[in-house]
Amino acid sequence: MNRLVTQVTRCLLAAGLVSATGLQAQVAPERLLAAEAEPGNWLLYHGDYDGQRHTDLEQITPANIGNLELKWIWQVRSAAGAAQKFEATPLVVDGVMYTVSPPNDVVALDARTGRVFWTYAYAPANEARVCCGRVNRGLAIHGDTLFMGAIDGRLLAIDAKSGQLKWNIAVGDPSLGYALTVAPLVVGDKVIVGPAGGEYGIRGFIAAYDVEDGRELWRFNTIPGPGEAGFDSWADPAREAWKLGGGSIWTTGSYDPELNLMYWGIGNPGPDWNGDSRPGDNLYTESVVALNPDTGALAWHYQFTPHDEMDYDSTQVPVLADIEWQGQPRKVLMTANRNGVFYVLDRTNGKFLLGKPFVAVNWMDGTFDANGRPNRVLSPTEQGTFIMPNNQGATNWYPPSFSPSTGYFYVPTWMDTYSVYTKRPVTYTPGQQYVGAFPTMAMPALSVRPVNQRIPEDGFGAIQAIDPQSGEIVWRHEMSDVTDSGVLSTTTDLVFAGGREGFFYGLDAKTGKELWRQSLGGQVASGPISYQLDGKQYIAVAAGAGLFVFGLED
Amino acid sequence: MNIRHGLALVAALFGAAALAQEHSYAPSDIENGRGLYQANCLGCHGNNGDAVEGANLGSGRFRRAGNDEELIALIRAGIPATLMIPRPQLSYGELRSLVAFLRNMQTAAGSAASREVRIGDARRGEELFFGKGACSSCHGVGGGGSRLYADLGSIGAQRTPESLETAIVDPRKEVREGQRFMQVTTKTGQTVTGKLLNQDTHSVQLLTEQETLDSYLKEELSAWTFLPSAMPSSLDVLSADQIADLVAYLISLKPAEEQAR
Repeated sequence: MNRLVTQVTRCLLAAGLVSATGLQAQVAPERLLAAEAEPGNWLLYHGDYDGQRHTDLEQITPANIGNLELKWIWQVRSAAGAAQKFEATPLVVDGVMYTVSPPNDVVALDARTGRVFWTYAYAPANEARVCCGRVNRGLAIHGDTLFMGAIDGRLLAIDAKSGQLKWNIAVGDPSLGYALTVAPLVVGDKVIVGPAGGEYGIRGFIAAYDVEDGRELWRFNTIPGPGEAGFDSWADPAREAWKLGGGSIWTTGSYDPELNLMYWGIGNPGPDWNGDSRPGDNLYTESVVALNPDTGALAWHYQFTPHDEMDYDSTQVPVLADIEWQGQPRKVLMTANRNGVFYVLDRTNGKFLLGKPFVAVNWMDGTFDANGRPNRVLSPTEQGTFIMPNNQGATNWYPPSFSPSTGYFYVPTWMDTYSVYTKRPVTYTPGQQYVGAFPTMAMPALSVRPVNQRIPEDGFGAIQAIDPQSGEIVWRHEMSDVTDSGVLSTTTDLVFAGGREGFFYGLDAKTGKELWRQSLGGQVASGPISYQLDGKQYIAVAAGAGLFVFGLED
Repeated sequence: MNIRHGLALVAALFGAAALAQEHSYAPSDIENGRGLYQANCLGCHGNNGDAVEGANLGSGRFRRAGNDEELIALIRAGIPATLMIPRPQLSYGELRSLVAFLRNMQTAAGSAASREVRIGDARRGEELFFGKGACSSCHGVGGGGSRLYADLGSIGAQRTPESLETAIVDPRKEVREGQRFMQVTTKTGQTVTGKLLNQDTHSVQLLTEQETLDSYLKEELSAWTFLPSAMPSSLDVLSADQIADLVAYLISLKPAEEQAR
């Protein structure tokens, strides 16, 4: 796919449709399609549609990474923002960096210096309720318009030059738990999002809106209702469970322009930890769905955890690559799932190619049937069941990376964690959490406490390199504490990532050897990016309440 | 008595009646509150109510709320700029139940699985604590002990009788975070033992047995190892009756304002 896009880009460049650098041109859809040809910019949440988070910039190498130094810091200004995790991946467009200070303040910065051009401060409605932090993962851009989802369930369009609001529409009712934390995805003239709220009994969806006015163009229900395919997987006698079925969206999908299919990971069924009220597989929770971006039509789905009772949201980034897989050229979709298993699927049809645990797993026995359905062996019980990985999962929304150079998939990992899952009765009250008994965990799910007094048996963190050919772990960079960091790989065979301890690492992509590190004093809970300006390559990452930008010594 | 103390006394006297009422919670309220806690609070505050730093819900003390009504208002309004979001959807009755559970958290949390714990005489337990049991050789009670070991001045508000009995007879069964000891050996052969204050991938911070604050880079260490609890089991020293007395004494150790209730 990438190579094809590059060819398209060359044509567009020749036609003068793509800005080479620094002209602050509008980000037409064609530029997004050809984002790979503009490694100096970071135009989409993943940097590119394929979700690889891989940069082709070549200035920073294993040989000179020791000369990396801090260039500038931008600090979150509001106390409300500083108290939250800074999860946003910035965009960089022709010298301007755009990011979101939690919960929903958009800022435009000079990408050379960190000086502020403008700030758009949005106050979410008091009704906003989010299970796991008043956070935001980033923006999308189309033309001169930025798009941001807000935790009160609204989608905002903001002028990229002035910071003025263009429009603001309701995607979901915040009083019922609908919230937007996902970075939107722009495809063509549509901006696409879905709501978080899997802990509040929402009925999830993915919807496309007109970039010009926010008009809804189509909606795919992640929980099918009567008459929709998949409805039979909600088999309670009263046929009511689907209405509170969850299926949230909180991580941006990927897109293959050639197949014209988007891939989105879907969150947990509701209630989370007691599946008695919702017999059946509970589609399309814990699945990846392939959708036509023009219509929202479902092409195929694959469900990672049928009838989930462990909260293993499948909201991980579906990473796309065209590779030779076990001797055959394949269009694959790779994803390391919260349930502890690394998957390779054929993204043309959803065929299961490989599934292999990348941490200690005991909810399934490591085997799959011919269709790729996992052999499940454990569930929550009234007495409590010891299950690995823990409720926060082996990984989570933290964006992974795939390097076409090494061929490895890099995943931020919570190693060998566990929870005791206890089944309790659940009742639904609108606007309240609809979950069951929260599982016990030795590892704090969301803590930003800068102290670790745990024993290794409670789990630890790692960046792992997985060979997608076999699912084998190639190398593991271990950390005492777990990590909510994303990963960036480079064409010069570097991997950048961090963790809760606040260290930010540059690793050898082939071996995992630590080549460089910097203590940033606050947890890295965002995806690093790279961009280039005036011939200088930069690495940017949010940590704690700051955005840190590194470059080579002048 | 200075004016400040006088005001405190008046407040304590006026508060006593209301607080006494607050201690009579219906079992059904506590049980309802447990469900509400699980649905609304547990995700952040954890099973024991102590997962958020500086907010041990089971201790019965709240920095931002004194009585039940203030607690209800706090839960309903949330705390700005924190993960503690407003919960306007909870009715007053539900908030009362939630507070009932919070006020009884230490005894209610594990009630379903609790075993019988014998509770003896607190006065005799106090004598054992400072005498034959030798507890006071390490632990202080509202001060007086080593910095290395937990001060037990509020332990009765923080732990259930069951967990206190377990800690006395089988101290190695569970060593809690903040009470773990580590031994480090430097590459030059020096061995240091202390309470683990913090660690990361590259370093370790200890309060050493000499009560110094030491920080070590792991690259300078040849080994760093967690140690089992140094506390001996009281089974070897105390009879079952005496252990019951000691449990009774520990339960009685509560913050001053708790005792006033």
